[in-house]
Amino acid sequence: MAAMSLVLRAAAAWAARRAGGAGIAGNTGITGIAPRLPGTIVPVRHSGGHGKRMFIIKATSFYDTRFLNLLRFYIFLTGIPAALFITYVNIFIGEAELAEIPEGYVPDYWEYYKHPISRWIARYVLDPPEKDYEKQMALLDIEAKKTEMRLMELEARRLMRHRGDGPWYHYETPDKNLVDNSMKSTPDN
Amino acid sequence: MPEDHDWEAYKVPPTRTPVVESTTSVPNPVNFIQTVFSNVLDKPVTFVREWIERQQSKNKFYYYHQKFRRVPDVSECLEGDYLCFFEAEAQWRRDRLVDAEIVEIVRERLGACKQREGPNEFQNCAKEAELLKQVTKAYQDRYGDLGYHGNARKCLMKQKHRMMEERKAAQAKQAEES
Repeated sequence: MAAMSLVLRAAAAWAARRAGGAGIAGNTGITGIAPRLPGTIVPVRHSGGHGKRMFIIKATSFYDTRFLNLLRFYIFLTGIPAALFITYVNIFIGEAELAEIPEGYVPDYWEYYKHPISRWIARYVLDPPEKDYEKQMALLDIEAKKTEMRLMELEARRLMRHRGDGPWYHYETPDKNLVDNSMKSTPDN
Repeated sequence: MPEDHDWEAYKVPPTRTPVVESTTSVPNPVNFIQTVFSNVLDKPVTFVREWIERQQSKNKFYYYHQKFRRVPDVSECLEGDYLCFFEAEAQWRRDRLVDAEIVEIVRERLGACKQREGPNEFQNCAKEAELLKQVTKAYQDRYGDLGYHGNARKCLMKQKHRMMEERKAAQAKQAEES
């Protein structure tokens, strides 16, 4: 690079001589802030083989990188402990083996699952399927009884309205002793 | 880990590769490749797998396939007895899953038979093919065109219609004969 700049300086001197500048001394007069002719070759500092430094104008990636960093952070925050835990369970505890139900033995409801985490969830978190079944049947029973009650009520209403001999559809009339007859007692009012 | 296939279930006929008598002094490259494969891939993987199985065999536990009691069918439920309907419906759904699995197993048997026999499949697999045909026809008759919202009640109605059609066809045949 030093040789390059020497060559460039020599070329600059030759260009200045061609242009007819006064005081041709080789190095002086050309280097510096003096105005130069267009086309003068000037030495430029290149950063050791990487090429000329450029100011590249592009859109900001600050928000994008910030988002991706935060995404990775929050995913890994629970993802890595969960992955480690699941790996530990799979290696050291392992899945259950399928076996025939032994004679006279009634397995508990969580013993029908293979993976140990599913077994744990079925045992400690969820309700036994028998309880779920009974809850569903209880809801059905309540709704069935409600429908039956409503139908019977509608039927009773219809009959009482039609026949008029039931306790419903009685309209209260005021007592006849409370009626004030003073206005109706003389014919000339 | 998925289990290996049961090699005893579908009997593969013994292979008939001839014994090779080598006449050259050049060593067989297949042996070298086999030793490389075994030492680089097979042995480490087997070692890790066996170590894992030793850890897991310290406390073994088992899981079972649940056996459900039989409950009265939809045809035995009184009208308006919604609890009976609910139980019969649950039983019908389980039965449908079981029947679907049965069809799948018969289909796999036919596929295995075809793979084994190669060019002889049309003759030697005739029994399995006939069994698959009967089983799929039966499944189609029972659970066939009920649609996504098919339930036990619709299946019963389908059976009723089928029986009515059969009775009509039998009566038509009788009227024709007499």
